[in-house]
Amino acid sequence: MFKRPIILLFTLILFSSNASAPALYSVSSGSITFSSDAPLELVRASSNQLKGIFDAEKKQFAFSVNINSFKGFNSQLQQEHFNENYLESNKFPRASFEGKIIEDVDLKKNGYYNIRAKGNLTVHGVTQERIIKCELIIKNNIVSVKSNFTVLLADHNITIPKVVHEKLASEIKVEVKADLIDK
Amino acid sequence: MKGIKIILLFCLLSATAKTVAQDTTSSLLSILEKEMEQQKDVTIYTTATFKTTRLINGHSLENVGKGVLDVKISHRFGNISEGGYELFGLDKASMRMGFDYGLTKNIMIGVGRSTFQKTYDGFIKIKILHQSRGKKNMPITLSYVPTIALKTIHFEDPKVNNHFSSRLSYSHQIIVGRKFSDKTSLQLMPVFIHQNLVTLAAESNDIFAIGIGGRQKITKRISFNVEYYYVLPGTKLNGTSNSLSVGFDIETGGHVFQLHFTNSQGMNERTFIADTKGRWDKGDIYFGFNISRVFSIGKKH
Repeated sequence: MFKRPIILLFTLILFSSNASAPALYSVSSGSITFSSDAPLELVRASSNQLKGIFDAEKKQFAFSVNINSFKGFNSQLQQEHFNENYLESNKFPRASFEGKIIEDVDLKKNGYYNIRAKGNLTVHGVTQERIIKCELIIKNNIVSVKSNFTVLLADHNITIPKVVHEKLASEIKVEVKADLIDK
Repeated sequence: MKGIKIILLFCLLSATAKTVAQDTTSSLLSILEKEMEQQKDVTIYTTATFKTTRLINGHSLENVGKGVLDVKISHRFGNISEGGYELFGLDKASMRMGFDYGLTKNIMIGVGRSTFQKTYDGFIKIKILHQSRGKKNMPITLSYVPTIALKTIHFEDPKVNNHFSSRLSYSHQIIVGRKFSDKTSLQLMPVFIHQNLVTLAAESNDIFAIGIGGRQKITKRISFNVEYYYVLPGTKLNGTSNSLSVGFDIETGGHVFQLHFTNSQGMNERTFIADTKGRWDKGDIYFGFNISRVFSIGKKH
């Protein structure tokens, strides 16, 4: 007689504990585009292989992209130089941003949020602490992120030889877009 | 009671599993990057094994990209041992201008004209295997380079019956190489050369040689290169020696400057592999340079 209710109770505990597990989201489709607008040349390239995880409960996140997945350069040689000379993608294969959302908002509700993400931005093996503004749209368990920010090449130890000074900007514009779904 | 025990154990396990999961979320990035590393559905092709399509005199395993025109101007000066009167050979320049073009990612063509024996040459370079890792793992790059050269210098004796075919020579070269690290690349180049006319009846029309070459990067934009062609003794022409060249590649944006010292004066396969007259041990060293400038004609990459 006792057995049934106890089993029921434990099953209940088991399921309820699962239901309150952190809501993990991961990137289903993400793109990152950078552009260098210098007097003599506009260089633009993007990757659609942006990966990321987002923990809505703890408001923590991590995004990462393979450097060699960037495409759209003005020439194949430029892409080669990007990987070989500037970002050194063999040595530093990925660029990443991980951290926490500063604002105290409940990200489990649908809505539009203007938030600031604080964390470590790692490019070319050099990590900088950054606060980056993002737009978040949460709708029916899909989180859409959009952000524009800039990266100073000097901050990440990427040096430009004098001969290409007019062809490469020292400040690079970056645009990130991603849709995250329940993991 | 047994059932309850099992359920209890299950609850306990799931609870510990949950705490483990929470611990690891403290480094979401490490979870993410571990996933990315395990991803095997993309092939990453090795690029920039060499800075340009020539190692020094001969071909490297590098191709120009699709729709890219590579204009090459090369000079070889006179013998350094001629001393100050000839400004160590700089007074005597011999040059080749060449135009290379990438038809596809793996096929390029090129034509050139050398002052040495007023020679026109043409080649095709076909990349058959491409070093890669990831989904498709390939340890080496392999290319096939057939060439043809046409000497247009006047025949030595115009009175005898000369044939047009006497002006032609051909070469077939396989290039096998590998980028071992960011800085070090090596390649082997077995080559077969046929020339329709040789000077002496006793000489062979067919020449076999094996080349070896490599580069070691010194800085990001400068590399040290060596190239050596060993001609198989039975096929070697009289009075010729093996071609040995050392040099530097200096890359600045779209240009590559190659500065080198070599005992060869020719700049097409037949002349530098089969017809090298200079000898390093006698001081027959020629200074030379190649300048490469690429122009993108095709669409974006």
